[in-house]
Amino acid sequence: MNDGEIAIDGSLGHTEPLNSKNERDLNPHAQRCLQQLLRVWLGFERDLSTVPLLRRIDLGTYTVNDHLCLLRNLRQQVIEGSRWITRTASSFDRDHAEIRSTIISHAVDEHRDYELLEKDYVASGGILNDILGMERNVGSEALHGFLMHRSSRPNPVDLLGAMWIIEGLGEKMARSWAERIQELTGLGEDSTRFMTYHGHNDGDHMERFYDMLNEVCVDELTVRSIIKTSRVVARLYRLQLEEVEHELE
Amino acid sequence: MTVYITSTGAFLPGPPISVGEVEGILGAVHGKPSSLRVQIQKANKIETRHYAIDGNQKTTHSNTEMAANAAEQCLDRAFLTRDKIGMLAVASTQGDLPAPGMASMVQAELGLPAIEILTTHGICSSSMMALKAAWNSLRLGDHEAAVVVSSELSSRLLKKQRYEAATESTYASKRIDFNTEFLRWMLSDGAGALLLQDKPAPKGFSFRIDWIHGFSHAHALPTCMSVGSAGLPDDERTWQDYDTYGEAEKAGALLLRQEVRLLDNIVRMGVDGYLRLVENGISVPSEIDHFLCHYSSHHFKDKILDLLDAAGVGIPEERWWTNLYTRGNTGAASLFIMIDEFLRTEDVAISDGDTILCFVPESGRFNTTYMQLTAVRS
Repeated sequence: MNDGEIAIDGSLGHTEPLNSKNERDLNPHAQRCLQQLLRVWLGFERDLSTVPLLRRIDLGTYTVNDHLCLLRNLRQQVIEGSRWITRTASSFDRDHAEIRSTIISHAVDEHRDYELLEKDYVASGGILNDILGMERNVGSEALHGFLMHRSSRPNPVDLLGAMWIIEGLGEKMARSWAERIQELTGLGEDSTRFMTYHGHNDGDHMERFYDMLNEVCVDELTVRSIIKTSRVVARLYRLQLEEVEHELE
Repeated sequence: MTVYITSTGAFLPGPPISVGEVEGILGAVHGKPSSLRVQIQKANKIETRHYAIDGNQKTTHSNTEMAANAAEQCLDRAFLTRDKIGMLAVASTQGDLPAPGMASMVQAELGLPAIEILTTHGICSSSMMALKAAWNSLRLGDHEAAVVVSSELSSRLLKKQRYEAATESTYASKRIDFNTEFLRWMLSDGAGALLLQDKPAPKGFSFRIDWIHGFSHAHALPTCMSVGSAGLPDDERTWQDYDTYGEAEKAGALLLRQEVRLLDNIVRMGVDGYLRLVENGISVPSEIDHFLCHYSSHHFKDKILDLLDAAGVGIPEERWWTNLYTRGNTGAASLFIMIDEFLRTEDVAISDGDTILCFVPESGRFNTTYMQLTAVRS
């Protein structure tokens, strides 16, 4: 619970969900896209509060068992995450060489993140085989299916919308979940390394994201496709987190 | 029907109280100075504020009296005889009496005969709820004039005796109970009043109300600012569920609480609401000449600025105006007290046709409200 250790003069969380980018730096389509992406993000972030397991973080009733359940369910998505990212890179033709390079280096950064998650699971008191043997939950199936489908299409620029949501969530985990989870469960820092590590990395990723957005988002059609994909991913990601509960039943 | 704010009034009880005098008015709990006061006051940057209680924590003005005083000043400044007023709408977090509605009491104090009344109950945004209802009544042609008043007397909730009586609360058991103490150093008392008419005032500036919109997110987000529960995650009782009010008080169910960790949501939802208005073409950021933003603490100003900028809908800082730092955070009363002084201050040059955006976020359970005014000179 809150024990007064909050310094309200500057560290009450960061309100910017992601690194802010001044409007002057983006072309008008990219700027409009960013504005709509921010709306999608704010709605996604708000609605995460309705997911029972995450609401317990807000209300202060989150337990070690909740944490183990969350980690078990995140692992598959993290493994699959590196797959759709690499598939996305390979679907870009040579006219999109710049964005392809960016996405490849992003994939290199993250493709073994799930190992960190496994270590966190064990450090939180879980049994390694339990997390290794965990299947994709219903929401992970839907999310993965959608992402693999979109990333297999030629030049899938709309997946910037997916990156926006998933990177944003990584930053949010580091910003508002990790420390709070330790506080509520009494677990140590080694229980949330995936969350904190991932968050730190995502700062750089967002800078690259803005550059990509500026480069590829140059017409209204692209704006619409990026926004649509961000909305689908936001909904399916939340579904994945909602489905976490069903494992407990 | 076009509706105008044709007169304003405000009432701030007693002398301005400086940062260092605050604890002398609210009282040091069990005689011990608070260890959080300085930190919280430093963050909110409020320099002076007013209280309707004295240094012995005795009430000097009732909430009804403050509301009536603000309304009297508003009506004294108006080019209108009182018999033209058809409606009185009053907003407050807590009137003097839990029942009847505060508008009944304020009407009685003002002596306005046989008018339509409305009491809105909420926290900061209750002022905007009252204003919107009165605006709509005039737009429908039901009345030609309405008075809207918002008034807050939160110091009665914040005086030392409240905390001393909560002997079995989180406040008593914890070394530091930030959530329970936070608002103690934030809120203060005051009242503001607006007169709405179906035509502009014959002299000087009126503010035409262009639109009022609100977005509440209680369906998704937990309660963040409240009175009435003991603030324990597993205890669902509210104050009237205890056998006696005495027990509720002991448990801390009558203390004012802020879930500080959830507060960032108000900035996010505030910006979300503004993006909705921009997306729908209702507000155009570049056309705003003055931005009257009720932020509860200076701490939130930069956060709102940054996030609006990040979204590409920033409003340059020189267009922001507030009197938070000198009049205090008076909750529901803040916006009306702000509009009253904004109209009179010499710090800002208002020109005919200027667009004024007002924003009142409420952290209670995340309601965000927005209003656009246009300055009209007769």
